[in-house]
Amino acid sequence: MAAAATMVSSAGGLLAMLNETHPALKLHALSNLNAFVDYFWPEISTSVPIIESLYEDEEFDQRQLAALLVSKVFYYLGELNDSLSYALGAGPLFDVSEDSDYVHTLLAKAIDEYANFKTKAAEGNDESAVVDPRLEAIVERMLDKCILDAKYQQAIGMAIECRRLDKLEEAIIKSDNVHSTINYCIDICHSFVNRREYRREVLRLLVKVYQQLPSPDYLSICQRLMFLDEPDSVASILEKLLRSDNKDDALLAFQIAFDLVENEHQAFLLTVRDKLSSPKLQPSEPAQSGSSELDSVQDGNATSSEDVQMTDRTQVDMSAPHTDPNEAIYAERLTKLRGILSGQTSIQLALQFLYSHNKSDLLTLKTIKQSVEMRNSVCHSATIYANAIMHAGTTVDTFLRENLDWLSRATNWAKFSATAGLGVIHRGHLQQGRSLMAPYLPQGGAGGGGSPYSEGGALYALGLIHANHGEGIKQFLRDSLRSTNVEVIQHGACLGLGLAALGTADNEIFDDIKNVLYTDSAVAGEGAGISMGLLMVGTASEKAGEMLAYAHETQHEKIIRGLALGIALTVYGREEEADTLIEQMTRDQDPILRYGGMYALALAYRGTANNKAIRQLLHFAVSDVSDDVRRTAVLALGFVLYSDPEQTPRIVSLLSESYNPHVRYGAALAVGISCAGTGLSEAISLLEPLTSDVVDFVRQGALIAMAMVMVQISEASDSRVGAFRRQLEKIILDKHEDTMSKMGAILASGILDAGGRNVTIKLLSKTKHDKITAVVGLAVFSQFWYWYPLIYFISLAFSPTAFIGLNYDLKVPKFEFLSHAKPSLFEYPKPTTVPTTTSAVKLPTAVLSTSARAKARASKKDAEKANAEKPSGAESSSTVTNSGKGKLSDKDGDSLQVDNPADKKAEPEPSFEILTNPARVVPAQEKFIKLLEESRYVPVKSAPSGFVLLRDLRPNEPEVLSLTDTPSSAAANAGGSVTGQQGSASAMAVDEEPQPPQPFEYTSVPDKKECRVNPSIARQGWQECASD
Amino acid sequence: MDPKITELSQLFERFKAAFVRKDFDTCAKFLSQLKVALTEFKSLPPLFEETPNAIQERTLARDIYEHAVFLSVKIEDQEALERDFFQLKPYYTDTHGLQPSTQEQPILGLNLLRLLVQNRIAEFHTELELLPSSALENPCIKHAIELEQSFMEGAYNRVLSARQTVPHETYVYFMDLLAKTVRDEIAGCSEKAYDSLSINDARQMLLFSSDQDLVKYIEEEHPEWEIRNDFVFFQRAKESTPCKEIPSLQLINQTLSYARELERIV
Repeated sequence: MAAAATMVSSAGGLLAMLNETHPALKLHALSNLNAFVDYFWPEISTSVPIIESLYEDEEFDQRQLAALLVSKVFYYLGELNDSLSYALGAGPLFDVSEDSDYVHTLLAKAIDEYANFKTKAAEGNDESAVVDPRLEAIVERMLDKCILDAKYQQAIGMAIECRRLDKLEEAIIKSDNVHSTINYCIDICHSFVNRREYRREVLRLLVKVYQQLPSPDYLSICQRLMFLDEPDSVASILEKLLRSDNKDDALLAFQIAFDLVENEHQAFLLTVRDKLSSPKLQPSEPAQSGSSELDSVQDGNATSSEDVQMTDRTQVDMSAPHTDPNEAIYAERLTKLRGILSGQTSIQLALQFLYSHNKSDLLTLKTIKQSVEMRNSVCHSATIYANAIMHAGTTVDTFLRENLDWLSRATNWAKFSATAGLGVIHRGHLQQGRSLMAPYLPQGGAGGGGSPYSEGGALYALGLIHANHGEGIKQFLRDSLRSTNVEVIQHGACLGLGLAALGTADNEIFDDIKNVLYTDSAVAGEGAGISMGLLMVGTASEKAGEMLAYAHETQHEKIIRGLALGIALTVYGREEEADTLIEQMTRDQDPILRYGGMYALALAYRGTANNKAIRQLLHFAVSDVSDDVRRTAVLALGFVLYSDPEQTPRIVSLLSESYNPHVRYGAALAVGISCAGTGLSEAISLLEPLTSDVVDFVRQGALIAMAMVMVQISEASDSRVGAFRRQLEKIILDKHEDTMSKMGAILASGILDAGGRNVTIKLLSKTKHDKITAVVGLAVFSQFWYWYPLIYFISLAFSPTAFIGLNYDLKVPKFEFLSHAKPSLFEYPKPTTVPTTTSAVKLPTAVLSTSARAKARASKKDAEKANAEKPSGAESSSTVTNSGKGKLSDKDGDSLQVDNPADKKAEPEPSFEILTNPARVVPAQEKFIKLLEESRYVPVKSAPSGFVLLRDLRPNEPEVLSLTDTPSSAAANAGGSVTGQQGSASAMAVDEEPQPPQPFEYTSVPDKKECRVNPSIARQGWQECASD
Repeated sequence: MDPKITELSQLFERFKAAFVRKDFDTCAKFLSQLKVALTEFKSLPPLFEETPNAIQERTLARDIYEHAVFLSVKIEDQEALERDFFQLKPYYTDTHGLQPSTQEQPILGLNLLRLLVQNRIAEFHTELELLPSSALENPCIKHAIELEQSFMEGAYNRVLSARQTVPHETYVYFMDLLAKTVRDEIAGCSEKAYDSLSINDARQMLLFSSDQDLVKYIEEEHPEWEIRNDFVFFQRAKESTPCKEIPSLQLINQTLSYARELERIV
């Protein structure tokens, strides 16, 4: 077509020609109109009926051309539905490869239509609905074209959208990089496929594709299988790997196990463990060899200097004459694998890491303790909470031991919390947990004489220690529960049992707890309700109906609330399946059940960013009559959106300016939950004004949320972290600050330095799988509004930020790697040294100095770069050569670590840092982690943090192990931690195990005020509590 | 000379011969062939490719279409006239070096007249607006404009008497048709204006010379009219729709929902 200048000014002539009788003239007109339709569609649109009649004329042999023309006109008129139906009529003339707006728009429309249709058909199970074959043909043509043009990602997206799994498979198989394509596929599958059932179908297909590959990626397969909940397949893969002759395969199996453990799906892992077939040893052998092996491994852990000796011993075991050597190797590997799958190995290693790297700042706690008013019990227990959180999982209870007098002021429920706090501090201390808590535990039915509060607290503590790994302790907790009828102890036992048996859906335990519930005691009933939920987490069992019925029956608000949360927990992750229950709860007359409904929405759609759920929550956030429900609805947004933290501040930003303080509070916590540990700038900006809100509990929520967002963010990466720390200090020291925000500030300082500054709050595992324990932990934690002891649930959401490399023996060898960023970006915050009284005065100077330093740094940037380049090369090469020489490298690494702070002051900061296994690697740092070339160890999978199995390239050289300062000696009671408390106590002393604090001398002044709940809100709860 | 053009001109000559002979069936047959043949030429609208013989081809094509227009008047086929006129029009609007045709003004006038006859006043004015002001002076076009003015004023007798002053022979056909258009117009107005009319008045009003013609006209065109007692009753379907109810329920609902929304503002 020539330029517009030579064009006809009107299509009238051609349109008139359409009415000619001669078909050749019609054709001429049609084809010319088709060419000019882009310019003359307004004119042609008036003649559409004529062209339509041409299309419908069976005699006319160019009907398809007519259809195409009509389709184009309708497209310009914006009638896409009509346009599409005529385009379908145009058959092959509709060219999918044409590069025009018309074709693009219609293709999009066609695919939408087709996808809609398929989705509807799939959801309604309506087999009779037959899709227009022409539509299908167009979509298929498009898919084929994408695959041909190597646009696999488009093809995959479309195929998933249209539920064409056959095409999906084709696209994946034909793509040039199958592994990356599958990973892409998994990503979009998790972020865009809303229906759970369909997602499973896609994943099942992916597993199938994986298995057909010549070199299957077992790591990914097992992750997918876990999502699909198919323990059998995982077990068979693991077994295959274990039985392989290649040592690397065994390493891979271990790595898979660690990755699976990270997702915290207890029930699944236990099934996998049990499905693994036992080695075919002779009848007398298996038990003995298994246990002795276990012993030797544990032994090795405790006294790793005897490493060589240990390997000798295992070799002796293996070369036992009457066993097949292969089976023996398998047995040995299996024992290790079972250890990993049960979670014990990773928990133990994490514990060692947290203990050895503990950098918590006792001075901060001391400042808090001194500034808190003596008689203010809320702040007193807040300090105890903060201490527990700060030392979560580190087993360091120095603070408690140094302040026994002060501690003894805790009475009644405060005593309960104080005792339970030990559980947080010793979290993961599986072997010793029981003996640590022994002094406080109820003494075998005789009543013992201990306060029921400390006994209940101790049972709760046991639950926290064994959270999600309660195999060994479940029975004890059950017995304790059954043998008491003191409601405080029942409360503690229920919570403990729920935690220990998280998600196991054990019916016997359920019945035990149900009996407690039916006693209709407010305190015990609340614990029981939550506990039932914990037990049945994510099972969507019909037990929820039972719980709901009882919630309607009982008079106690506390019980209803416990049950409401419990019911919400049962539908964890069930998405659409939970809709009926959610509907039922959100329509209830009782605001507490509606409140539970919000949690049900939050947990059922956790991390899906599902639009429907968000819409519903926003609706309740603005329309419900109960403030509690509104607050929870906003808060629940945080759970729905945690997989997409950038979204949350945007969505709740309006709500955070609401006139209703409850909504503001909810907004603060929603941001805190979904952006936890990210240090997201928008989140901080949103929370900042809320920390100085006019309403006290909003300030409290905002401070806590801010701490959750900023956990492990260093001042160097965001200067507001420093400002926030100073703000906390100011609030704590201020005499006139009200109790609520003071408590918030104390808790916030605890969370900010949680777990000895070595943990972060993470709701997603590295494989983007939701961490069930963490999510559940945060959900229950957010109940602290009503019941302070539930604050401890936050410890479930903590995960150590560590790179822990392991060798074949699951030991931690000396191994160095590079963090290619300035050390100051990710270093620990400096311990507070200044006397607290002067710090307020020093405030302005502190701000200035940091900014000045930053400025200076910026100006020196160039020079620094030039300087840093050279030493970096030299340094790394020297360490590489050293690393082979064992002991020497050890010294080198140590000196480097010590030197670093000194270097910083004297000369320009280096642009990299050498880290030694195991090392603290905060999430933001992960992208800077690089492995040194020519290192002795090579990781099985490249991961910047977590547990990584290392392949030893020089197996003949002696290995140097780190992490020898084990906080536990497991040797004595490897089989069952129940036995031999005496023996382990002596072992502890040898291993510099921190002694458990002396049993506290509680002054038993009954003070009813202590049993409290959030002062400004709790009314009913308070009364119920006081009546006991 | 291009053989295709030669062939076309020969065909056209035969068409013209037949046209002169007033052998219109043959003409129509030839015309159809001519039109199909014309689609072969790239130089014609809408493509306007500049081929060496473009001017010649376009002139020929324009000639053919002009003849087609006149032919359709001769065979009294209004649809064909419209079709042919629109196909011809690009040759007038987008000249591309063509000499103006002598037939242009009469044909434009003819088209205006056609629109007037078909009572398509809106299109009539659209066409008029598209004409340059100089063209309005042309007798052919001026004629049509005057007719339209009289028609609008209701000076129907002036319309009918204009038949005597046609500026082009082909216009006669339309002037006959115009009488009928005028009558329809009057009938439409009477229907609205009166409940009934006496036969006598109706005959005068509708410009019929005899009562029979009137009765015949009513039977053909307005069977819904009724003749009783020497009166024509215009039975208007007076199912005057009752005045619409106020959608009170909807309004109440809307107001309530506004109130609720106001309450919800966060």
